[in-house]
Amino acid sequence: MVASSCSSTTESGKFSREEVGNDGFLARHNGQIFAEGRSFSGNERDKLFINDGAGSFLDLSDLSGADSSNDGRAVIAFDADDDGDVDLFVHETQRERHALYRNDLGTAPGFVKVKLRATTGNAEAIGAQVEVVAGERKVSQVLSRGAGFISCQAPELIFGLGGATAASVTVRWPGGAVESFGDLKPGARALLVEGAGVAAPYGAVPRVIEEPKPRGLLVNVGDKVPPFEVLDASGAPVLIDPAATGERVALNLWASYCAPCVAELPLLEEWDAAEDLRVIAVSVDAPTDRSRALELIGARAPSLSVHLAGERKPGTRTIEDVVDLARLPLPTTLMLAPDGTVEEIIRGPVEPR
Amino acid sequence: MILRSAQPATAPFVALLLVLSLASAPGCGGGEETTAADGPGRNAPARSTGVSVDLPDGIAHPDRPVTSVEAVEDETEALADSLIEFAEVLRKRQFDQAEDWFSPDLVAHALVGHAEANRTSLPLDVERIKYDVAASAGVDRDGFIESLRSLLGDWRSVDSVLWKVKGASFQRGRSRWGRLDLKIHITGVDATGGMVSVHGRGDARATRTRGKFLLDQFILNKWEVERRAAPLFTEVAASTGLAHTWARFGTDANNSFHWNGAAAGDVDGDGDWDLFVPSDDQNFLYIAQPDGTWSDEADERGVGSPDRGTGAVFFDCDNDGDQDLMVGLTGWPLAGGKMGGERCRIFLNDGAGQFTDAPGGPGLQEPFVAYTLTVLDFDGDGWLDVHICGYGRVDVEHNNSWTEATNGSPNGLLRNLGTNEEGAFLGFENVAEAAGIKDVRWSYAAASADVDLDGDADLYVANDYGSNRLWINQGDGTFVDGSDAQGVVDKGSGMGASFGDLTGDGSLDLYVSNMSSTAGSRILSRLEEDIDKETHALLKKLAAGNSIFTRDGDGFARSPGGQGGIGASWAWSPALFDVDLDGDLDVFCTNGFVTGELAFDT
Repeated sequence: MVASSCSSTTESGKFSREEVGNDGFLARHNGQIFAEGRSFSGNERDKLFINDGAGSFLDLSDLSGADSSNDGRAVIAFDADDDGDVDLFVHETQRERHALYRNDLGTAPGFVKVKLRATTGNAEAIGAQVEVVAGERKVSQVLSRGAGFISCQAPELIFGLGGATAASVTVRWPGGAVESFGDLKPGARALLVEGAGVAAPYGAVPRVIEEPKPRGLLVNVGDKVPPFEVLDASGAPVLIDPAATGERVALNLWASYCAPCVAELPLLEEWDAAEDLRVIAVSVDAPTDRSRALELIGARAPSLSVHLAGERKPGTRTIEDVVDLARLPLPTTLMLAPDGTVEEIIRGPVEPR
Repeated sequence: MILRSAQPATAPFVALLLVLSLASAPGCGGGEETTAADGPGRNAPARSTGVSVDLPDGIAHPDRPVTSVEAVEDETEALADSLIEFAEVLRKRQFDQAEDWFSPDLVAHALVGHAEANRTSLPLDVERIKYDVAASAGVDRDGFIESLRSLLGDWRSVDSVLWKVKGASFQRGRSRWGRLDLKIHITGVDATGGMVSVHGRGDARATRTRGKFLLDQFILNKWEVERRAAPLFTEVAASTGLAHTWARFGTDANNSFHWNGAAAGDVDGDGDWDLFVPSDDQNFLYIAQPDGTWSDEADERGVGSPDRGTGAVFFDCDNDGDQDLMVGLTGWPLAGGKMGGERCRIFLNDGAGQFTDAPGGPGLQEPFVAYTLTVLDFDGDGWLDVHICGYGRVDVEHNNSWTEATNGSPNGLLRNLGTNEEGAFLGFENVAEAAGIKDVRWSYAAASADVDLDGDADLYVANDYGSNRLWINQGDGTFVDGSDAQGVVDKGSGMGASFGDLTGDGSLDLYVSNMSSTAGSRILSRLEEDIDKETHALLKKLAAGNSIFTRDGDGFARSPGGQGGIGASWAWSPALFDVDLDGDLDVFCTNGFVTGELAFDT
């Protein structure tokens, strides 16, 4: 709806006061649509453009794993774990507001990191420009504090070497003096002090980031799956307590729309018939699709018990205490020890035992 | 502003589609264009199930098109809204519901089964497969829906589905039909666990049937799939102690348009990076721990309040060797010399990461509607100064123009007064006026570098609802406007800016983020004949996306759009860094305004 196409304008594209109003209609109306839960330029995810080194960029946002739909505002590109590659902290507008994206590309191409200290002008050397020549590649960065949009970068510049075995570093200090610091080796962390002419190495402060839980899961290998409530075929609540079975359990998460899930139902039924394993298959279908899930179980694995993910209720554990339904990849099967501890997480279809 | 519809939801759309504010759109104020009865001239194919059907050679253009831009956009919006619902059904893979969007007589390209045209290996082990859709036969509705099932049924997760109307024209008459240019974009995790992205584009015909548009023809002209075995990044906030879950935007707990920033620095001098994150009801000072986590110590360390900070910067304001913190807040003058809102704050570090809220001198007694703060030593005296972008009070004010608004809150230039003989910090004074940069555009963001390489710090300021400014430092405490001379005016809705060498020639280029929209581009294409060339060029720019300005002699040249890197929509903060360590700078840019819970977009 473009009501604005008929908006009248005064000269030079300016609105008169009565046209605009001075009562903040933008904020009020925006507030109203957002209160209703509508989007406004929504689902426009954060972008990652990869430079091909020849002046063109490739949009790899979709494959980045860093394209949240929580509407990012500020971003800091910094080496969060001091392993030499550049990670990202994004301040989102809503929901999971603080995102830290660990760069998983690795440092095989090599890097050098530099910090700066000026002896004339401002000691932090804010505004200094550092040029690195590595093999055929040349690149410059500026030491900034406060750029982008409401974002303040860390005072450390990281240069990729693209496989080159040395990096020639030149600093243009605030004030304009240009100084060469010679060649740095891959992996060097160097403090460049104005006038020193040689780089002073500084130590790494490596920080090991614990592996996050697998996507869509609220439990990891080694965690116990708590008892949770599901619905049976009639819609009645049933408590599932994996630890109470006294047997090994395959907790399978599936949906009627998921072709590989439906394909493996007969195999899961076979598993369930074995002496030493119970299968608990929980359909995570939306309520409108539950009947389809029931039909499929009936047709493909009739001896399996029917378990449907129910709605969240206060005070009751549901499958959403075990998995994050919005992010859960399907099929996912958790192999549990008799005491309910997760021993293995199978992503994708299960293999015959 | 005349709102034709009583629905309040249209108002922000008005505010954003700057496009139309300039255009003297034809047909405005006129009535309905025609009521002549006319059918779409359908040649219904014989129905069949799951078998190939003949596709038309192309989709006919309306021979008597609706000409009112407004009427076309109303129909287009109705269609776009309907396709948003369809996209949501696809994302949830409720394939049984898909037929509600398609005519029983549909003839279409299937979305699977096309012959591979070529396979390209892209950087970072990404593979792109282009399909030869022209060679494919058509299918009927059942076949089309089956193809949706085949395409998405074995994905491990479908993360995003977009169907966008990039262009549309409609036949006049009671039996309304339209010819659409549709874009399809689907992302997720495929059956092998790899990241996958599908891009499709095609022409469609939609006919209004009992009040709702149903697609009855759909011919693809592009179908591409990109894959990578794994994502480039893994999100680790939960395992590092940084997770902070908050209400969705629009709820009582989260409805402020004061966007909150982030700053990194080493506040306790232990060699790792701590983070300050201002927020709506509390601030976070995440102190990096040796075990790889961060812990929030904002309150203990004296920076817990005030909340609702915007930009924040770490820098050593008193030259005592530690990182102090300035936090941008929004304040405004009231009658009688009083002040509403909050003034910006400077927190002094005691060297161990304990902060004290300091008075900050006369400059910090003034109100600013502050967004991005940028540190620079503009006068070269060794004491770091701060530029403050003054935006406007969106809750009470409105920009007085879409293309050159002049009623923003003034920008500030806080000159650092240094310390007295006892070493006490004297704070800042605002010298923006004397320096010639007390701009009253709606400034959102700024970045500083020595653009002309004369040894002093210059400043680029991105302005919403207006043109941007490159302030060239004269070396005498003043700046002159070099935007025109250096070719970086970049009219439009500027949201963010960063300097970095994107071309590998050693000189700093400039990346500017802007706001653009599918609807804006769509409307523009219709206005082409009705407005003058200059205006059209401007409007086109406004809808084009981000801008890359590459250093070219003494000025900058706009990088052509065909080279990529600018295709964002409502873009915010660009960060230029080398993600793959291959020796050139890549671009990450936050993007998107508000993603609600409902499928509908505005």
